[in-house]
Amino acid sequence: MYILGISCFYHDASATLLKDGELVAAAAEERFTRQKHDTSFPINAINWCLESAGVGIADIQYVGFYEKPFLKFERVLSQHLAMFPLSLKTFLSSLPAWLTEKLRVVKIIKKRLKYDGPILFVEHHLAHAASAFLVSPFARAAIVTIDGVGEWSTTTYGLGEDNEIHLMKDIRFPHSLGLLYSTITAYLGFTVNNSEYKVMGLAPYGNMDRVSNEHYQRLRHVIDIKDDGSYHLDLSYFKYHWADRMLGNKLCTLLGGPVRAPESELTERHKDIAAAVQLILEDVLTRILHHAYKVTQCERLVMAGGVALNSVYNGKILSQTPFKQIWIQPDAGDGGTSLGVASYIYQTILGHPRNYTLRSAYLGPRFSRSQIKEYLDRGGIRYTEFATDAELIERTARLIYDNQVVGWFQDGMEWGPRALGARSILSNAGNKDMQEILNLKVKHRERFRPFAPVVCADDAQIYFECDQPVPEATDFMLMVYPIKKERRKLK
Amino acid sequence: MIKSFGYGFKEGIKLFGECVSTLINSLLLFFVYLIGVGLTSICARIVGKKFLDREIDERESYWNELDIRRKSVAEHLRQF
Repeated sequence: MYILGISCFYHDASATLLKDGELVAAAAEERFTRQKHDTSFPINAINWCLESAGVGIADIQYVGFYEKPFLKFERVLSQHLAMFPLSLKTFLSSLPAWLTEKLRVVKIIKKRLKYDGPILFVEHHLAHAASAFLVSPFARAAIVTIDGVGEWSTTTYGLGEDNEIHLMKDIRFPHSLGLLYSTITAYLGFTVNNSEYKVMGLAPYGNMDRVSNEHYQRLRHVIDIKDDGSYHLDLSYFKYHWADRMLGNKLCTLLGGPVRAPESELTERHKDIAAAVQLILEDVLTRILHHAYKVTQCERLVMAGGVALNSVYNGKILSQTPFKQIWIQPDAGDGGTSLGVASYIYQTILGHPRNYTLRSAYLGPRFSRSQIKEYLDRGGIRYTEFATDAELIERTARLIYDNQVVGWFQDGMEWGPRALGARSILSNAGNKDMQEILNLKVKHRERFRPFAPVVCADDAQIYFECDQPVPEATDFMLMVYPIKKERRKLK
Repeated sequence: MIKSFGYGFKEGIKLFGECVSTLINSLLLFFVYLIGVGLTSICARIVGKKFLDREIDERESYWNELDIRRKSVAEHLRQF
C-alpha cells in the first residue's frame, strides 16, 4: 500500500511517500525549485518520490494533506471579524490566495496529480505529533508540538502509545510562542519564517543572565506565563493578528528603539534582545515540559513544530526537565508534516502496527558515481577520481588539516533544514579564524552565524558537556551542547 | 519582427487583463469586507461575542481542552 503525504501553501512545501508504512522517499519542494521555503504545490517533490519508488499515481491508495483548510479559514475569518476594520489591508491581500488555492486543495491535488482516490485531512498539530512519534524509536512517549500557528492551535501536548496519539490540551491563536520568537526576529531585522535560527545563533553573544539582562525583564511584560507553562501574550505589543507586520510601535518603545534595518550593524542591544527572547522561550518550554511530564508520567519525549528546531534549548531538555530520553525528527518544522500525515493515515487511521523507525535523514535525491561523472564531464569540470574511499578520506582529512574548505557531497539529500554531511561544507573546527572565513568568504553571511563541530559519538564527552548516552537527535544537528571549558582554547 | 510584436502584444493584453482582474477582485472583496465582515463584526460586538481570546487574566491556566484521538476515515475526508 502506497500513501503520499503532502504539505504546502503555507511554508516549506514537501512530499513523503510510504510503502506499507515504511518511508520510501521524502523531499522538500525548495530543493527542486531552489526557492528557500518554497510554499507552492510540491509537484517536483511528488514526482521525484514516485519516480524513486518506481510507481505511478495510480498506485497511490491514499493522499494525505497536513492540515484542515476550512478550520484554518475559520480562524482567518475570526481574525478579520475580531479586528474589523483594522484588518482590511490583509483581507484584500490574503483572501485571493484562499479562494484560488488554499480552499481548493482537493481540486488542485486531483488536477495536478490526475488522482482520483481518497484525500484525507489531518489537523496541523496532529500531523506534527505524528511526524514526531510514529517514526520515533519509542513505543510510548509524551508529545509536545509548538510552532507559529496551525488551524487554531499554536502549542499542544499529549501522549503517544503504540499507533495511537492523544493530543490533550492546546494553546490557541493569537497566543503563540513561535510568533513571539518570529516577532523578535522581525524586530532584529531578519526575515520571519526563515531567520529564527539567526536569533538563536545571535543569543549567546548577548547577556544570558536573567537578572542583569534588562530586555529580558522588559519582554516578560509581553507574556503571562502560568506555572503549568500555559501562556498568553499581551497583544497590544503585536500586529500579526490583523496586519502584515509582526509588531507595533509599543513593542519598539518597550525595547528602546526602532526595528533594526536589515544588514545594518548588530549592536550589544540587539544581541541582548536576542538573548532575552531565547531565555523567555526556554522559561516557557521548561514549564510546559514539566507539566507534560506530570500529566503523562512518561520519561520519553518527542517534539515537533518549528520551535522544536531550537537546538540550543533542545540540548538543555534532559538536564532541566524530568525526561530521560528525547527524540526529534530531522524535519521538525512544517516540511515534516507530510511525513506525519502519511504515517498517521497508515498507522493510526487504518490501524496498522508501527513497523518503521526513522534512523537516517538521507531520504532525498541521490546520484550514482556514473551520473556524477557524466555531469562533471559534460560541464568540462576538472576532477580527480579516487580509487578507494580510504584514499578519498585521507586526502580530504589532509585538506581540512591544512585549513582548506571542502564541499562534501554524498548519499541522499538531507530531509530537513540541517546539512548533515550529505551536502555539507567541511573545514577545520580547531582554527579560530575558520568561522569568519566560512561566513564571509564562502557563505557570504553574517559573521556571528555558527557552524556545528562533528565528532564521533564515542568522543562526544571529551569535547562537550553533553547528555549520556548521546541522544539520537544529535545525529540530526538538533541539540546543541556547550564545549568543555578546557577545550575552548583554539590555536 | 511581427512575431516579436505579436508576442509583446499578447503579453501586454495578458498583463492588462490581470490588472483589471485584480482591480475588480479588490473592489468586490472590499464590499464583502465592508458588508459581510463589517456587519457581522458589529452585530457580534453588540451581543458580546468574542472571536479571539485576547485576554490576559487571573485564570489558573491558559490550556484549552483539545482531546484529539483516533477518528474514522470519514472524519478525515472532511476539511473541517
